[in-house]
Amino acid sequence: MPKRKVAALEKVEADLASLQYRIRRDPKSYAQEFYDQWLAYDAQRQIFMASPTTASNDDVKKFHDLVDLVAHVADLYPELTAAYPDHLKELLIRHHAVLDRELREKVVGSLVLIRRKDVIDSTSLLTTLFPVLISTPSKSLRSLLYAKIISDLRESNSKTTNHRLNRTIQTVLHNLVTSDRTSTKGMWATRITRELWRRQIWTDAKPCDVMKEACLSDNEKVVVGGVRFFLGGDKEREQMEDDSSDDEVDIKKVKHQIEINKKSKKRQKAVERALEKVKKQERKKKAPHPLNFSALHLINDPQGFAEKLFQKHLQNTKNRFALESKLAILQLVTRLVGLHKLTVLSLYSWFARYLTPKQASVTSFLASLAQGTHDLVPPDAIEPLIVKIANEFVSEASASEVAAAGINAIREVAIRQPLCMNETLLQDLVQYQKSKDKGVVMAAKGLQSLYREVYPELLQRKYRGKEATMGLRSGETKQRKFGEQEAGGIEGIELLEKYKDEQKAKKLAEKEEGGDKADDSDDDGFNSDEWEVGSDTSMSSGGWINVSDDEDDEPATKRAKTDSEAPDLVGAEKLDVSEATSLSKLATTSILTPADLLKLQELRMEANVDKALGGASKRKKELIQRHIDEGVTADDIELPATLGKKTTKEERRALAADGKPGREEHKSTQAIRKSKKEAEGKSTTNKEKARKKNFLMTLGKARQKNKRSLTETRRALKAHVAKAKSGGRRANGVSAN
Amino acid sequence: MSKITVAGVRQHVADLLEYSNETKKRNFLETVELQIGLKNYDPQRDKRFSGTVKLPTVPRPGMSICILGDQHDIDRAKHGGVDAMSADDLKKLNKNKKLIKKLARKYDAFIASDTLIKQIPRLLGPGLSKAGKFPTPVSHADDLSAKITEVKSTIKFQLKKVLCMGVAVGNVGMEQEQLVANIMLSINYLVSLLKKGWQNVGSLTIKATMSPPKRLY
Repeated sequence: MPKRKVAALEKVEADLASLQYRIRRDPKSYAQEFYDQWLAYDAQRQIFMASPTTASNDDVKKFHDLVDLVAHVADLYPELTAAYPDHLKELLIRHHAVLDRELREKVVGSLVLIRRKDVIDSTSLLTTLFPVLISTPSKSLRSLLYAKIISDLRESNSKTTNHRLNRTIQTVLHNLVTSDRTSTKGMWATRITRELWRRQIWTDAKPCDVMKEACLSDNEKVVVGGVRFFLGGDKEREQMEDDSSDDEVDIKKVKHQIEINKKSKKRQKAVERALEKVKKQERKKKAPHPLNFSALHLINDPQGFAEKLFQKHLQNTKNRFALESKLAILQLVTRLVGLHKLTVLSLYSWFARYLTPKQASVTSFLASLAQGTHDLVPPDAIEPLIVKIANEFVSEASASEVAAAGINAIREVAIRQPLCMNETLLQDLVQYQKSKDKGVVMAAKGLQSLYREVYPELLQRKYRGKEATMGLRSGETKQRKFGEQEAGGIEGIELLEKYKDEQKAKKLAEKEEGGDKADDSDDDGFNSDEWEVGSDTSMSSGGWINVSDDEDDEPATKRAKTDSEAPDLVGAEKLDVSEATSLSKLATTSILTPADLLKLQELRMEANVDKALGGASKRKKELIQRHIDEGVTADDIELPATLGKKTTKEERRALAADGKPGREEHKSTQAIRKSKKEAEGKSTTNKEKARKKNFLMTLGKARQKNKRSLTETRRALKAHVAKAKSGGRRANGVSAN
Repeated sequence: MSKITVAGVRQHVADLLEYSNETKKRNFLETVELQIGLKNYDPQRDKRFSGTVKLPTVPRPGMSICILGDQHDIDRAKHGGVDAMSADDLKKLNKNKKLIKKLARKYDAFIASDTLIKQIPRLLGPGLSKAGKFPTPVSHADDLSAKITEVKSTIKFQLKKVLCMGVAVGNVGMEQEQLVANIMLSINYLVSLLKKGWQNVGSLTIKATMSPPKRLY
């Protein structure tokens, strides 16, 4: 009898899973059972704490199961298990290196589980996992911990941003990077920060500060991690966002398919899910765009950062970083200099050493030089570099690619600081448009057209071109002095003004003709057109109310109702105003409406078409803007060198295959299209059906035809001829008589 | 608020002027500021804008200006009663960051002679451009006083790390018409800078230094 009892008890013990199930159902009545298990767990734990390595496999297994059980029901017995989280933390922190692998993973998993049950908070979980992450030698544990940390941070920020937790973790990461600058531990800080930045969980200045510190570390890996974050982190974030919005559902197709295909509960559910998803996406689209400041803009004290980075990693000759890392650092430094218009003068003299064609990846250096130039760099700092590039790269003897890259690099620098060029050098470089190589010609022409716009005096008279010469003569093209800021105005405001005056004059003339019906309707037609332009924008802007007192924007219907005198008066008033003030009175006396802005843009475009020069300068502005935002890459420098090249057959083939449907085996386009159609579940034409029809099914009809009598055949033929005469079965084109 | 009318602006300006000149007159010349809040603007995807525009009337006549120049310009400056410094004075600062910062803080704007301006980065380092006060060039042929007025009447719109900004567009000593013209021009210029025009404008407020704010839009 007692024997049987023991057996039953053992069974209960062994079957912890069912015990867990029962406890969950009814925690009160199983309190005693759980207490027994808890004691067993505690005893085992003490053994493990004392000597974690000596336990037998069975003991490890048993302890593993007990830890699992307690974790799952810890929230039901809060008093009893109060010490449980601390037990796990202690065990993990002390013995993570020697514990059995599965047990270790179970301990981590249990910690995460009780975090999810809100037994402990995120901060205590993360502060436990973090030290283990950076100290453990085990790769599997590291990846597990990393995944858990990221997911926990995501979870705690999912509903609202948990500022407190974020600040704590960011401080931990910051300390991690700054405490020991030589160790690779900072890697984890960069990895975690980068991931959370990519997921838009951290978007403020603090993570940028962590990365900034990482960039100033002594360890190459950490530095590169930080630098790459600044160079590519934002693009990554954007890509992530695009990807997530990519998988769109074609709701029309889904609805169509449910009509045609067999109905089932499963399919119905799938449709509902698709609808839900579409709704969600719609909502997302309407939601205001989250604010994303680029990491480069959020840096605190960019000047100090750029200087430190440059001095520490580039200027310092004792630095033994790989060339690739140095290039990345250089790219970041120059990006900062260009973007924030910093003054790091030693940077330019440092460049001189590296500007030779023999230097490895010299195009990257050239690109960095270009993006590190801006209009507040003193020209005398860059001029020697330009001269050096010209001497080293551009000569009759040098290879065409080298010369093209050199001229192009000079052009990229000159876009940003045109004053760095001297007259003889420019005239010499422009001569290269007579070269035989297409790449060199293109590069030289690019340089010439740039200087035609910004500083035509430097060019020889015959290379200045028509517009520049005329502009010079009329004094329109003015050389910008160093440090001069262009005072902007509203581009094309005078055009809009002129246009409005013309409209008014037209209207006045019409009024003088005296209430002519035809003219009136014409006028209304025009104005209603214009009004529609305005109202279009107002629709999209969500409730813009047209507010200008300018009568052009009044609704046409209203206009039609007003008697002929009122608009006349307004027009006269307007004219008076225009005569009174000379300085763009439109901009100072009225507020531009969306319609006005649209018209302004239109007029500007027209004017630019008329005056090619205007268009070109706009293009240049866009070019500079693009570079400020994106930086220059080595590809930009190398581009013209590839222009004149003949491509190899493989390249051409790859180019042709690009963007076409992939085909594994050789197949006709028709066949590919057909199989695609089939895969999409589209229907076939009658012709295709007839072609595919089983031969035996068509046999009967064919046989019948052969068996007909002579008269039957004749009748059929006659009928056919008659039908053909009347235009076929549908009587196409021929009238039936 | 989704409406902005010329009459409304005029009314607000009149209210503002009345408050500052009659209801609560202060013992100094109050500056009128235009405060702008942007919306639906993605500083990463849309280009960050910055622009300067010249207003018809000088908004802050009390702006202190320093001429950094050669002998000719210093003489002219002394004649006009403007502070001036020579290249030697600048060299005396010895690239000392604190002194340069002090200099930058002392004046609202700088004007430098053509001959000197290229050396400014070498002489003073990043201090001035960091403060956003890099000098404007002036040549011997230019009229110095005209240049000073131009610098004083030019305002700068620049977006920093937040989506709101304020610019000084006038003062309460100005005529109402002048103030309205300045405000209109600034608003129109701002809207023409923005990619989506009015759709990017969240709010427009005018406010004198010690007056309650008036919301225009």
